[in-house]
Amino acid sequence: MISLEDAMRKPTPAPDADTNAFWLGMRNSQLLLQYCGDCGNVQYYQQGLCRDCGGENLLHRPASGRGKVYSFSVVHRAPGPAFKVDVPYAVLLVELKEGPRMISTYIGGNPQEVTFDMDVELVFEAITDEITLPRFRRA
Amino acid sequence: MSKNSTSPVRKATLRGKVAVIGIGISPVGKVPGKSPLWLAADATKKCLADAGIEKREIDGVLSCHAMASPFHRFSIAFSEYFGIQPTFSNTLQVSGATAATMFNIGAAAIHGGLAETVLVVGGDSLLSGLTPELALRSLTENRDQQYEMPFGIPVANTFAMTAHRHMKEFGTTPEQLAEVAVVQRRHASRTPGAQQIKPITVDDVLNSGMVTTPYHKLDCSLISDGGAAFLLTSAERAKELEIQKPVYILGGGECHTHEHIFLMPSLTATGAVGSSRKAYDMAGYGPKDMDVAGIYDCFTGTVIMMLEDLGFCSKGEGGRFVADGQTTYGGQIPSNTHGGLLSFAHSGVPGSLFHFYEVIAQLRGQCGDRQVPDANLGLVHSLGGGYATNATTILGTERTL
Repeated sequence: MISLEDAMRKPTPAPDADTNAFWLGMRNSQLLLQYCGDCGNVQYYQQGLCRDCGGENLLHRPASGRGKVYSFSVVHRAPGPAFKVDVPYAVLLVELKEGPRMISTYIGGNPQEVTFDMDVELVFEAITDEITLPRFRRA
Repeated sequence: MSKNSTSPVRKATLRGKVAVIGIGISPVGKVPGKSPLWLAADATKKCLADAGIEKREIDGVLSCHAMASPFHRFSIAFSEYFGIQPTFSNTLQVSGATAATMFNIGAAAIHGGLAETVLVVGGDSLLSGLTPELALRSLTENRDQQYEMPFGIPVANTFAMTAHRHMKEFGTTPEQLAEVAVVQRRHASRTPGAQQIKPITVDDVLNSGMVTTPYHKLDCSLISDGGAAFLLTSAERAKELEIQKPVYILGGGECHTHEHIFLMPSLTATGAVGSSRKAYDMAGYGPKDMDVAGIYDCFTGTVIMMLEDLGFCSKGEGGRFVADGQTTYGGQIPSNTHGGLLSFAHSGVPGSLFHFYEVIAQLRGQCGDRQVPDANLGLVHSLGGGYATNATTILGTERTL
């Protein structure tokens, strides 16, 4: 069970051993993708080894920030009290130009204008001193 | 020539080895003043009475987690609460898919000699044991804390994005989604104790207010209290006990394709394809042989996608299949005849146990005016975590063995 106090706060990412470099990159306005030096697989979700070949020769490279809306859902009823002030907002499943998909939210426009395959670009939004979240706006 | 290459490969199977000998259900819907453990215990008492055995004969307990209960080891806390000391027990966690895994694993434990009589039990009180805000947030809590939750993903959202993509790829309409809710409400109206029985129309669903596109309020399952319990034992022991209508586990399968929604291989073809194929192969029956089904229905679009992935219709046809009346009486596969999570009750992870209760009652011919005639083969599919987890169980009467 979670406490009501926790439910009132928006969840903030807590960087861990797999994600420290990623969140540091976000602070510096870079969304770091992992490229496998052995098989060429590209990963958004940060891990200590390649999901395809198991190799650990992973290199970070910043994403172009370009992508398309693969799917989306406009939230009208908030998932708990912390998000009530934000509704309606569009949760996006973005397919990055580099291949991987990621979850984010739409900013800079009316959520109702989001469509499938819409071109979007990355925006860096600092939510605390440590954490910057990746958001997307219409490209 | 090596010995191995000449001997036929004998695939291990659970087919017909284990029977369900008792079923029990607590009051469901709004059940104030009762804890998850009480709901589970009440269902278990009824289950024992149904099987005609004593609690000391239970030597195995499998359960699922309860969000409104503080116990991490729910199966252990339950055993203490109920005054039993099992020699096989676990609390399983694959979200909504846990129900079917409890049946499959319970059967495997009996067949493998770990236990003789396994109680499968769950209970939770999302409606009375949590505030609405905590219930919603608890349902969301299983999303990733770094990659998903910071973006305000409601529990409905992963399912909404898959359904939305299904609409784009196959032309599934909001009206077809709504029809799922309409059919199941009609089913619930014949089920004693169902939480929502007032008839609804497609327009009612479309006008019920948007939760997260494309889902309206009435496209979403309920928030409920309730528990259910089942007793499994070997086919031989079921005979010794002279159980009148044993229902056999014929096949089981699981398939888990991802943890994060953004790593789901396809948004419109799920692990249900793999889990049901395993279950059908073990049972020796196919989707067209099934007489009745319990299909996980956290949202209306979930049912449409599962009808396709479980093989009841082809990919992309799920919406039309429902609109054609194929999921109700007289159709190809009467599904969720109790009303499902959408109208009967949805007490979190135990909610899918109600699908088992209904399908088993149908196979025993105990469903009164909602009985599916000559029901001998039934399928239950459970899933969770935005299709992360999938588990299927196929059940049959004595004549299907």
